[in-house]
Amino acid sequence: MKKRLILLLALVLTIGTILSACSGKDSATSNKEGKDGQPYEIKWYTIGTPQKDTDKVFKEVNKYLEEKINATVKMTQIDWGDWAQKSQVMINSGEPFDIIFTNGTEYVQNSQKGAFLAIDDLLNKEGKDLKEALDPALLEGIKIDGKIYGVPTNKEAARQTVYTFNKRLVDKYNFDISKVQRLEDLEPMLKVIKENEPSITPMATFKAYLPFDYVFNNEMPFAFAIDGDREHVINQFESDLAMETYKTMHNYYKAGYLKEDAATSKDSWPMDVENWFVRMGDSQPYADSLWTRAAKYDLVSVPAEEPTTFNDSVSGSIQAISATSKNPEKAMEFLNLLNTDPYLRNLVDKGIEGVHYEKNEDGSIKDLPARIDRYNLPTYSLGNHFILNLYENDPKDKWEKFKEFNESAKPAPTLGFHFNSDPVRSELASITNISKEFYPALATGSVDPEEYLPKYNEKLKEAGIDKVLKEIQKQFDEWKSEQK
Amino acid sequence: MPKELQTQSSIAVSHSTNEMKGGGAKALRKKYRDPQHLHPVVNTIISVLLGILAVMCIFPFFYVIIISFTSEESIVRNGFQLVPKDWSIDAYHYLWGMKEQLFRSYGVTIFITIVGTIISVFMITFYAYAISRPQFKYRRFFTFLAFFTMLFSGGLVPTYIVVTQFLGLKNTIWALILPLAMNAFYIIIMRTFFLKSVSESILESARIDGASEWRIFFQIIFPLSLPGIATIALFSTLGYWNDWFTALLYIDEPNLVPLQSLLMKIEANLEFMRQNMDVAIMQSSLFNTIPQESAKMAMVVIATLPIAVSYPFFQKYFISGLTIGGVKE
Repeated sequence: MKKRLILLLALVLTIGTILSACSGKDSATSNKEGKDGQPYEIKWYTIGTPQKDTDKVFKEVNKYLEEKINATVKMTQIDWGDWAQKSQVMINSGEPFDIIFTNGTEYVQNSQKGAFLAIDDLLNKEGKDLKEALDPALLEGIKIDGKIYGVPTNKEAARQTVYTFNKRLVDKYNFDISKVQRLEDLEPMLKVIKENEPSITPMATFKAYLPFDYVFNNEMPFAFAIDGDREHVINQFESDLAMETYKTMHNYYKAGYLKEDAATSKDSWPMDVENWFVRMGDSQPYADSLWTRAAKYDLVSVPAEEPTTFNDSVSGSIQAISATSKNPEKAMEFLNLLNTDPYLRNLVDKGIEGVHYEKNEDGSIKDLPARIDRYNLPTYSLGNHFILNLYENDPKDKWEKFKEFNESAKPAPTLGFHFNSDPVRSELASITNISKEFYPALATGSVDPEEYLPKYNEKLKEAGIDKVLKEIQKQFDEWKSEQK
Repeated sequence: MPKELQTQSSIAVSHSTNEMKGGGAKALRKKYRDPQHLHPVVNTIISVLLGILAVMCIFPFFYVIIISFTSEESIVRNGFQLVPKDWSIDAYHYLWGMKEQLFRSYGVTIFITIVGTIISVFMITFYAYAISRPQFKYRRFFTFLAFFTMLFSGGLVPTYIVVTQFLGLKNTIWALILPLAMNAFYIIIMRTFFLKSVSESILESARIDGASEWRIFFQIIFPLSLPGIATIALFSTLGYWNDWFTALLYIDEPNLVPLQSLLMKIEANLEFMRQNMDVAIMQSSLFNTIPQESAKMAMVVIATLPIAVSYPFFQKYFISGLTIGGVKE
């Protein structure tokens, strides 16, 4: 017995020594970096498929940064599909790093948890230029409990849902799409397509759109009306609009305008396959030309709603500074430069001039093959769009149009309100499950809403939706009173 | 999908072993008892049932092979078919186009599988042998230590912290090998195996002849326990070959991504694209990485085939190992 105890003690001691040795080394290196004149290495994690030329480009970036702010950057990309899980483990484990890409609910949850640093003070000092460059609506929208936890990407701040059509078919049958506003308006066109174009599915599988401001997402039954009563949260599935829309959808489904397996299908309807007539999407200025480029045939869109600034449209891309950063000031200095210095911003995004892209005489640029094959970074996730070089086929007023678009948008009722779901966690869990069951079938018109919508609402009642609605209302009212 | 297919194929493996076991028992019975014991009708029924089961296990993989040889056009128009209208090897052409990454990943997978299996076998047998010998004073404590980890584990985040921050393995090949090297369950299997198959008197005679502990282990224990060792070796081989999760956690470097992880990445990217169409449309880089349906199946084929082919070589040991190694005390 005694011996066993001694053994255990020895084991604990060994582990203890190892641990302290490790942490000792850590603090030693952190002292060395940054403070004594040596450049501090900023660790930056961002989304996207890792590229072959990243090292090459960042050698240039670091040369520039060392001169400017005495720092270097180590950017690591995590692949699209791995992102959610991997970034979460990294954050939860308290791994030391400086900057991380985040968005949407991920941003809200991690901020509430304290994984990100509140950067209000940093924005006033190191990030002064940056703060001026950003659209104020963006900063307003990502505030959580009055504090800012990340640098939003300066791009389109609003969202506008559009119906997008295959232009070849629109022209062929001389459809007047300018009159389309609601789902019902599509009917005559779908009919013609169904009868005359056997190889085309009239509607690419989409979920019928209900124009509300959603507290979580369009699947969950918590929403604020955008027009009318903007002060009270409702269950949008109880609205007449939902019933009407889903009825129309159900008619379409019965008429065979959608694929039969619409509710369960995982088909993403890639644009470059021309087998659809109409689809829905989120628009931005000049989206049609962008999509046309991706699809390689002509597309044309009509808006289904006015542009509106939502919480999720402002938090689509954020660079947050980690709470584990050893030198947040340097990280902010870098973000500041990245969002205000056109040379750095373009270098990080497009690569090296002459290697990855070419500049024309008028200042517009052209991708070289290396940019596509070896350095293809997702522009939206990096930073300020408005200082990016324009492509030669981009309209000259692209960024002006973006700014106009942002200014024309009206704020959604809950812009800046982030619901804390802790008090109703168990109700939300069961509501999520119920919604997963009903929503896809209803929104694709696969089932009759007359029968299933009431059933859905009844189940939601049983799951305690009223309690959640009340809690949301309470927090919303509190937030509202703080605003004034 | 590859994940499903993998589990299916691993079910296929375990099923067919069950079948083999049944067959072996039958043979035994025939040898020692009444040869006519199994009625022909019963025999037929059992054979048919097992046959159906075997076909059910093999069918999905067979189907995958067919789809990988189907032309994309035909998949889009008619869906998956058993006898496709157009055959094509486009999918394999496509894979040849990304051969750089593919060969690299193949290399990584083969390396971690071989090195990992060797390390794993040595670590497990050393541990298991030590706790199987009554001369070892603390064997109960160490048995319990291993057993304890079967009941309670640290969970994902603590494991991640240990591997990345204390051991500093992130983005090294060892991150793919070491976390999987030790397995408490195999230790218990091997311990039982050593206890049952190696009698104390053999060891005693070896000791009298002056053999050292090392010599005893490598020249006597090892050959005697080959079936058991082959079993856990096969288990670890499968484990390393099919592992994608450790790579997801610890590897950012494209040079170190193993084959299965590459497959999962493509699948995960596809899922991401489905859920985030607005982002995907603007991301030509994302579109470029998404292969077509038949190409995905072709990848499954080339990722699974080697392990399926190597299985028969292990089979002999595997069966005897399983029957002997089952915990019976």
